[in-house]
Amino acid sequence: MVALLEVDGLTKAFGGLVAVNDMSLSVSPGEVLGLIGPNGSGKTTLLNLIAGTIRSDAGTIRIGGEDVTRLPNHLRVRKRINRTFQLVRMPPNLPAIVGVMAGVMYGAEPKRYKDAEYEAAGILGELNLLLKAGYRLDQLTYIEQKRVELARALATRPRVLLLDEWLSGLSPGELDGGMSVVWSLAAQGIAVILVEHVMTAVRALCSRVVVMNAGVKIAEGPPGEVLRDAEVIRAYLGDDDA
Amino acid sequence: MTTGSKIAAVALAMLVALLAAVPWLVSDYGLGFMVNLMCYLVLTIAWTLFSGTTRYVSLATAAFFGLGAYTVAMLVKEMPIYATFGIALVLGTVMALLVGLVTLRISGMFFVVFGFGLSELIREVLIWWEINQTKTLGRYVFVPFDTTLIYWHLLGLAVLVFLVGWLLRRTRLGIALLVIGDDETMARQAGINVPLAKVAIFVVSSVFMTVVGAVMAPRFGYLTPNFAFNPLISFQVVIMALLGGMQRLWGPVLGVVPLMLLSELLQVRFPFWYSVFLGLVFMIIVYFLPRGITGLVEDAWRVLCRPISLPRGVTGPLIDVWGSLSRPISLPRGIAGIIEDTWARLVRRQPTGGR
Repeated sequence: MVALLEVDGLTKAFGGLVAVNDMSLSVSPGEVLGLIGPNGSGKTTLLNLIAGTIRSDAGTIRIGGEDVTRLPNHLRVRKRINRTFQLVRMPPNLPAIVGVMAGVMYGAEPKRYKDAEYEAAGILGELNLLLKAGYRLDQLTYIEQKRVELARALATRPRVLLLDEWLSGLSPGELDGGMSVVWSLAAQGIAVILVEHVMTAVRALCSRVVVMNAGVKIAEGPPGEVLRDAEVIRAYLGDDDA
Repeated sequence: MTTGSKIAAVALAMLVALLAAVPWLVSDYGLGFMVNLMCYLVLTIAWTLFSGTTRYVSLATAAFFGLGAYTVAMLVKEMPIYATFGIALVLGTVMALLVGLVTLRISGMFFVVFGFGLSELIREVLIWWEINQTKTLGRYVFVPFDTTLIYWHLLGLAVLVFLVGWLLRRTRLGIALLVIGDDETMARQAGINVPLAKVAIFVVSSVFMTVVGAVMAPRFGYLTPNFAFNPLISFQVVIMALLGGMQRLWGPVLGVVPLMLLSELLQVRFPFWYSVFLGLVFMIIVYFLPRGITGLVEDAWRVLCRPISLPRGVTGPLIDVWGSLSRPISLPRGIAGIIEDTWARLVRRQPTGGR
């Protein structure tokens, strides 16, 4: 299938530290790409670069063949790239639905206030959150917070969705529910990049995995093969003689 | 329209009609007071439109007020007064756009200082200009535009600023501002153009301030830069907005009215005590502001707020009365908050458990 998101030679340095070095990857519609690596390997930075939260130093990002490298964060949202954050980011003092409505009103298919209200309620309903629409963030449980944030991301009608450890910290039961949500997103044709430490989820969901270490890609392929790769094991566990 | 909103609309229309009839109902002195009240009301609500949502504390009120007033003072001899209002409006828009585009990327404290500095800068430049170029100290504004007319114009502005604030909540910009005030990063991720939204509301707010200044110019008769760009205007507006509470549109009313009454009272009897009092109010507000104060003080406040244990001899229905008296009142939401709490208690009284 033709790739929807193509990242080519992406580089970002913070002072002397090259956090992401010449990274290239691509995702197709309906595909779940796993992005794994030890802590500090640059996964979240790469996500920030693709979403436009921070600007890249070099390289290109294309969505559907269109170059979005120079676009600021909010315009990339309208080009249908959206994300969730490792630490949930929703307005802390507003009802959950307001954040989702903002996504509907300013997303790729902007709506007026009244339509946005209905649509936001619909999206919350799909994620089993309709009864929590009027709750503030601190009144929700951890899993509900994560789902509300996903609702906000989905409200902008993304074609590429970046999930930053969206399945971490869940109980086994919640993990099953979360995984089925990711499945259904992929089934709708959304290209998902999953940054994750939960290997059960990575093995179950991802058809392809990219492994990062110290800002560079060290392996790519189906999860079963990649996780057996000698260099990957070394990245996670260190050298034999270390 | 529901019955409730119909009643509210009729009541508001009657209130506006009553306020419009004020010039026939009160003395000249009373009308003068009402003009000042309306002036600060519009300024404070306009300030809240911008600062209440974006949480930028703006001290640029005097800059825009002064710009409006001084524009009229400088041009009123050359052209009809409404033309000067129009020019003031255009100048206010342009300055707000420039200031907004330059400063709204600056965060918190720096923005506060910039607003204050801007007002002082314009004042100093104008003083220099008047002394060195026009060889005057100020300007006379003698036009057939009496206090009653000024009052009606200000009332019109007040209605307009309320309408703008009320309509704003149901628009895209309103939702964007709500979200921006709470979490800017998330706002960007929802697709909101954060700087644009901030500049837009800053312009709306500043234009109101400029026009208020313009309308007030004939009231003063004689204007110097020191008077038009008086920093006290900026500070008073902040204090009024904070006292009233910024989370409701009508919150500022509850801050403006008592402070204006007090200012009138104190300035007549004890002219030097007003500033002291204003300072005290400011300190109290800052002290009880939810943010900007350490967690330690917040915790201490929570302990202070805990209901006092029931004294001996209080039984039966008195328990309820005591309960509502000793319930904590949250000051951070201002007087609007207190009234809401009291109202909630009156409307749906629920028995307090465990006592």
